[in-house]
Amino acid sequence: MRSRTSTRAASGEAHVVTPGASIRDSRNRRRLYSVDNPKKSVTLTVMTGLSALYCLLPLVWLVINATKSQADFVSSFGLAPGHKFALWDNIVEVFRYQNGIFTRWLLNTVLYVVVGAAVSTFLAALGGYALAKLHFSGKRVLLFVILGSIAVPGIALAIPQFLLFAHLGLTNTPWAVLIPSFINPFGLYLMWVFTAEAVPTDLLDAAKVDGAGEFRTFVQIALPMLAPASVTVLLFSFVSIWNNYFLPLIMLKDPNWYPLTIGLNQWNKLGSTAGNGALIQNLVITAALLTIIPLIVAFLSLQRYWQSGLSLGAVKG
Amino acid sequence: MGHAGRLDVTAVMSPDTTQHQAPAKRRGKQIGLAFIAPFGLLFILVYIVPIVYAGYLSLFQEKLIGGNTFSGLANYTKLFQDAQFWHGVSRVFWFTLVQVPIMLLLAMALALALDSRRLHGAKFMRVSIFLPYAVPAVVSTLMWGFMLGVKYGLFGSLNNTLGTDLNPFAPGTTLISIGMMVTWAFTGFNMLIFYAVLKAVPRELYEAAALDGANEFQVVRRIKLPALRSSLVIAIIFSIIGTFQIFSEPQILPSMVANSGITTDYTPNLYAYNLAFAGSQQGYAAALALVMAAITIAVAYAVQIRGLRNAFED
Amino acid sequence: MRLRKKARLFSAALALMLVLGACSSGPAESGNNQVKLTVWSWDDTVAKAVPGFEAANPNIKVKVVNAGSSFDEYTALDNAIQAGSGVPDLAMFEYFAVPYFAIPGKLDDLGKLGAEDLKKDYAKAAWNDVTVGDKVYALPSDYGPSVMFYNKTTLKKAGVKKPPATWNEYYEDAKKVRALGGNHYIAQDTGDLFFLLSLIWQAGGRPFKVNGTKVHIDFTEPGTTKAVAFWQKMLDEGLLNTKVTAWSDDWNRTLNDGTLASQIMGGWLTSSLPQRAPKAAGDFRVALMPQWQRGDEVGAENGGSGFGIPAAAGHKDAAFKFLEYFTHGGGLSSRVDAGAFVPNTSVLASTDSQNKVNKYFGDQKVGPVLAHATKIVASGWQYPPFFEWARSAYGDLVSKFYTTGKGSLTGILEEWKQRMIKYGNEQGFEVD
Repeated sequence: MRSRTSTRAASGEAHVVTPGASIRDSRNRRRLYSVDNPKKSVTLTVMTGLSALYCLLPLVWLVINATKSQADFVSSFGLAPGHKFALWDNIVEVFRYQNGIFTRWLLNTVLYVVVGAAVSTFLAALGGYALAKLHFSGKRVLLFVILGSIAVPGIALAIPQFLLFAHLGLTNTPWAVLIPSFINPFGLYLMWVFTAEAVPTDLLDAAKVDGAGEFRTFVQIALPMLAPASVTVLLFSFVSIWNNYFLPLIMLKDPNWYPLTIGLNQWNKLGSTAGNGALIQNLVITAALLTIIPLIVAFLSLQRYWQSGLSLGAVKG
Repeated sequence: MGHAGRLDVTAVMSPDTTQHQAPAKRRGKQIGLAFIAPFGLLFILVYIVPIVYAGYLSLFQEKLIGGNTFSGLANYTKLFQDAQFWHGVSRVFWFTLVQVPIMLLLAMALALALDSRRLHGAKFMRVSIFLPYAVPAVVSTLMWGFMLGVKYGLFGSLNNTLGTDLNPFAPGTTLISIGMMVTWAFTGFNMLIFYAVLKAVPRELYEAAALDGANEFQVVRRIKLPALRSSLVIAIIFSIIGTFQIFSEPQILPSMVANSGITTDYTPNLYAYNLAFAGSQQGYAAALALVMAAITIAVAYAVQIRGLRNAFED
Repeated sequence: MRLRKKARLFSAALALMLVLGACSSGPAESGNNQVKLTVWSWDDTVAKAVPGFEAANPNIKVKVVNAGSSFDEYTALDNAIQAGSGVPDLAMFEYFAVPYFAIPGKLDDLGKLGAEDLKKDYAKAAWNDVTVGDKVYALPSDYGPSVMFYNKTTLKKAGVKKPPATWNEYYEDAKKVRALGGNHYIAQDTGDLFFLLSLIWQAGGRPFKVNGTKVHIDFTEPGTTKAVAFWQKMLDEGLLNTKVTAWSDDWNRTLNDGTLASQIMGGWLTSSLPQRAPKAAGDFRVALMPQWQRGDEVGAENGGSGFGIPAAAGHKDAAFKFLEYFTHGGGLSSRVDAGAFVPNTSVLASTDSQNKVNKYFGDQKVGPVLAHATKIVASGWQYPPFFEWARSAYGDLVSKFYTTGKGSLTGILEEWKQRMIKYGNEQGFEVD
């Protein structure tokens, strides 16, 4: 598949470069560095390095400040360490504070993410497969509606969703967060394109001839072939659900169902609330660090998979 | 959140892939319906019914004293005359006009730099620039809020050293700071998409160009940029949809910094949220949400949604 | 057909999940006659009263939930009431929010449960705060008599030997503190509505007159204009730090390093100041707020809250029992020990409160100052029933003024009034 699309790109672009590109001109073969291994550029490295610095600085700040006690936090310079290395104390306190509700939020987040991402990826694969390989009436209408929904701002939807869910008595239950996360039009679109591209119809037909039902054909033949796409869709649903803020903000009011993002913001607000609100910025910062670590670990360790998923998509560019 | 950029994995997808697809054979006429049904039913529950319900609600006005009354299109006429709403719309409009090009140009430049193979430590750079994507908006706002604080944040130190009086969260500059946060969060993601597209360009093209005496600048202009075109269009659309929805940052910031100029009607989404949940004006908020969705679709369409639609014509 | 079977299995599984979810999230009534109370509170001290209460009432279990502070909690409560599920049995309200819930009938009249008998234990102004019309809708649980916290060391450095007793002295002292240069200011202000209202309150202005659903708004009374003009002068002359906002990280740090010489705030700051400014231990003292006339003793209020029972609550009798326990009865002392400042005359007058020295405040006896400040709070203040909305509207208006310096407080108050009139009338009140 890769080679096929490559040819397409090549035939599409080659004539754009120069008409004489096909003429191999040996006079130009005098460079020390090849096209694949050009001379490293210090200027370019520094400029890109500045962007990397911009991206890392807040994270460095977060790590440094997670090691400070509350007293050090309010009294020491942001990028300097505190008098006391309090990271461990902070972590212990994060898990203890308010009867250990942080653990509950963490588990809630895991529940929302695992169930939400798994179901949405599965439904997207199922639907994408149907769109790519099966016939049914109303397909065009369906496509058009789903296409339109990609452009509908999710947040504009959330308020009516809230009003509806409140009407159904689903607010303040995990369903209020889970059900909307099951639907991922982007994922469906991706899966559809991937299926069309990566699953040969002949193979499916062969399975049918052997007497496999539609569902078994899908599960046993198509699904394994969609693995890289599934990992990509899964991981990106994972992030969007893990980071979701608006939907749980309006749907959930019982702290026992909060995901980490909402809980974290509530803790942060404690300090800026007049009165007896507790000042726990050290816990907020440590909790923030703990919140992003699983995601960063997931991304770094699954790098190979989702990057190959991305490039799998990219070859179509 | 508040930025659909997270989802624009599709940016890498070219619209015209399906034309190669072999026509599916007719086997079991409506079997596909059963496959699409779970998605379809939930889609109706999560998308269609709420929109219809919002349309219904928008015809009512709810009062603290006197309850719900049918009011026809009164909410819509009120909305079209509501200066607070239109200020918010024009704010996100200008924000989008500035932030999206900056972010995408930066992302492209970085992707080109990575693809040039001229960087020391390219892998480290790539991963570092992408990392912010994994940080929730809540955490990002928290960190930037602390860091940009004029008194004790890094800007405070900068002001002390230089004797300046820069304030990243003054009403005139807050939007720029928010732009910085959003750019911080999504540049890396877009960069990776562009980078993936560039990596798929066959190397022989570069060899050929080099043999032909083309310099690096020409290679970028003639080969790489055209290769990025289709993914760029889609990245633009999703970035626009994302910035039009901006919510988390302006919603969280006021608890960190005062007098940042962030009002309850700062962005249309924030305004809708405050109307629905603080002002007990849910009918009005529903009308606002619908109008805002229409505006977003119109803008996205105006930009290039046709490009996307072509994808579905088989 | 195979697929049909699988599909059925799948939808059955989905239905099962839904049912399971519904069970696990539904109210967990355990035991036969056991009542499970849900209390919404962002005041941590309420939980301290639970063990004692449960021991005395074995058939009642209390669950204290932090459903967000202030605005967030009111939103949650409104949503719960609207959805008809998840309404708590007891909820915390700042005093200004009581009319908002009471007037449309969302709160129960506690008089029928016996609240009137407790009236005599509460400071008069606090009782007034929970009364709408002639009915009581909440019991006060903490109180914010306006007092002055001043940094003795900083004032001394500026050459001020005695804390300002009148607003004139305050103005003169502000200039002396400012003369120290740098970030030294007598106080900060970035548009703190409750502070401005406490100033107006003390000066005798009563901008809101509420009678049922009728609201009259007037910012032109002499008391109001006097207070507003004074604060305008402080701002115009650059005597206040308008960059640092209360409750922010910057504020904590300016309190720590002593560059803010005073805070005029509710008495509740007593318990949180040591946390916010640990380095300034021993520097701060507490005094009555400055007076408009030398020799006067007029106080005002800045904050405070109580607990009410939503009309849609399930266990009202049990809820009232617990409410009485932690605001008046056996649970009160555990809360006071945990740092709550309560408007109960019995507590304020107790020898413990009167004689206890506070180490953070340089071994000052803080209790008597706060008790006195509570006693002198001027009466007759009212909040409009849509104040929760109004204060966010004020925030929108005021931030422009504080950051650009364009306009005036008087102008903002007038604009605020116009917005309140528009909103209030739209919401079915009669506002003028």
